[in-house]
Amino acid sequence: MHDGISLESLGVPTAVIVTTTFLHEARVQREALGMAGIVPVVIDHPLSSISEEEIRARATQALAQAIGVWQGKQPDPA
Amino acid sequence: MQPVYDPRGVVGAEKKAIAARVRSLDGLRLGILDNTKWNANKLLRELRDQLQAAHALAAVHYYRKESFSRFADPALVEKIRAENDIVVTAIGD
Amino acid sequence: MSAQLAAAPAPAASVPEGTDLVEWYYEHGYSDGLPVVPPTPAKVATMLEALGGEPQKVEARVPPRWGGLTREVLAINMAMAGCKPEYAPVVRAAMLALCEPAFNLNGVQATTHMACPLLVVNGPIAGKIGMNAGCNAFGSGNRANATIGRAIRLILLNVGGGWPGDLDKSTLGHPGKYTYAVAENEALGLLAPYHVEKGFKAEDSTVFVMAAEPPHSVTNHVANDPQGILDSICSAMSTIAHNNAVSSGHCAVVLGPEHATTIAKHGWKRHDIRNYLWMNSGNLFREIAFEHRYGKVYNRSLPVWYKRELDSRIPIVPSAENIHLFVIGGEAGRFSAFIPGWGHMSSPVLREIGGGAGPEQSGPRCVDGTCYL
Repeated sequence: MHDGISLESLGVPTAVIVTTTFLHEARVQREALGMAGIVPVVIDHPLSSISEEEIRARATQALAQAIGVWQGKQPDPA
Repeated sequence: MQPVYDPRGVVGAEKKAIAARVRSLDGLRLGILDNTKWNANKLLRELRDQLQAAHALAAVHYYRKESFSRFADPALVEKIRAENDIVVTAIGD
Repeated sequence: MSAQLAAAPAPAASVPEGTDLVEWYYEHGYSDGLPVVPPTPAKVATMLEALGGEPQKVEARVPPRWGGLTREVLAINMAMAGCKPEYAPVVRAAMLALCEPAFNLNGVQATTHMACPLLVVNGPIAGKIGMNAGCNAFGSGNRANATIGRAIRLILLNVGGGWPGDLDKSTLGHPGKYTYAVAENEALGLLAPYHVEKGFKAEDSTVFVMAAEPPHSVTNHVANDPQGILDSICSAMSTIAHNNAVSSGHCAVVLGPEHATTIAKHGWKRHDIRNYLWMNSGNLFREIAFEHRYGKVYNRSLPVWYKRELDSRIPIVPSAENIHLFVIGGEAGRFSAFIPGWGHMSSPVLREIGGGAGPEQSGPRCVDGTCYL
């Protein structure tokens, strides 16, 4: 989150990918660092210890969200 | 009455706005920041391939953090800012 | 008396007489699991005075919540822990050390690994405030050790927001997350003190913090020379199970006094001990790679200059300078301990208590083994 917030504050739209278990921390971090408007991209946990095929599926899961973040169309994850 | 105390301290950061959004990905330079956690690189490469297949990106730049747990070095952040229009980072897990 | 109360920071609220304050702090989620000492205006005021006044002065921001650790908030948490005011310089120095960027407290707080801050105090202040560097130093029974470590944990929880299951994702945790604070046993004079090896004067007082697993006991009742004793410690180090094996970084070794006496009697210095341990411990890459049976392993957490051949020796940490050596414990018992760290993601911090920029860089004092202490 910290790096994504740094880049956003420098003017670069940034899609920060987190897994579901990290979403809570991501929300706390963005509040604490003063950028409540940054929207994370959320993929299923875990990312480590999964197969190549599952990684491909995670990438597909992230794709639409990332484009939505860059275009400002991605709603904040529930 | 008895006094009670709050041990938490205040969280106070100046509010920062996010960057302006983009309309289309075509012609943009994409930066990829890999924090080197397990499989972040595979995820990001897959995502890059899927993005390049669907959009006419002007360029793709790949960066790796020195340590997955530390914040990125300010010099690296500045380099990424200078060389890209949009960025994707992974992975927070 | 009234002047003292006038200086006390305003409480957050007032509750009716007869309210069970211990329960109140539990109900509000301010406890580490044990009952806290409800702060009183007098306690907070004397703690604040020991910190030098200025209640609103921000000593640090504590991740991952980035709460502001003002002197007032520090005083409140110290009172809750049961500290005496004279512990204040140690607790503050420890928090400043933990919040230095090199330590990466944000990562240590959040990690799924069990690592948590270990504090070792050197110099005269340890004895002055009654810390235990001797028998049962890592155990219970000493107010200074217990409450200094506890104050740090309460701050990491309350100010830092590192609540288990919330922002602290540690799979298992460990008992050090209640308290993990000791002093080095300098009084026995067996080896030069840790901080002197690092360039401080003996009369300086310092805090050393490292993200640490629990101590792993090393028993050796057989050897009567340095090599035999250190071989047992090398054995404890040479496993793929602790985090250093796969994540590099820093670790600590604690010599119990009986072991340290034998080693010192043979004329070995700190430099000799750390290098022997470094040279004679390690794993084979094939063990770390699980023979590549789950796929080809490279492991980017290990330095690039390690060879990744199956029979390459993989050191536990990249150099003998990454082994932090202390003499701690009671005078009876042939035991030492290996304390693994978290990995390259966090570096230990050594900091003077009471300000000061750090060890002098020039002059005839020994720094980093130049005089082979």
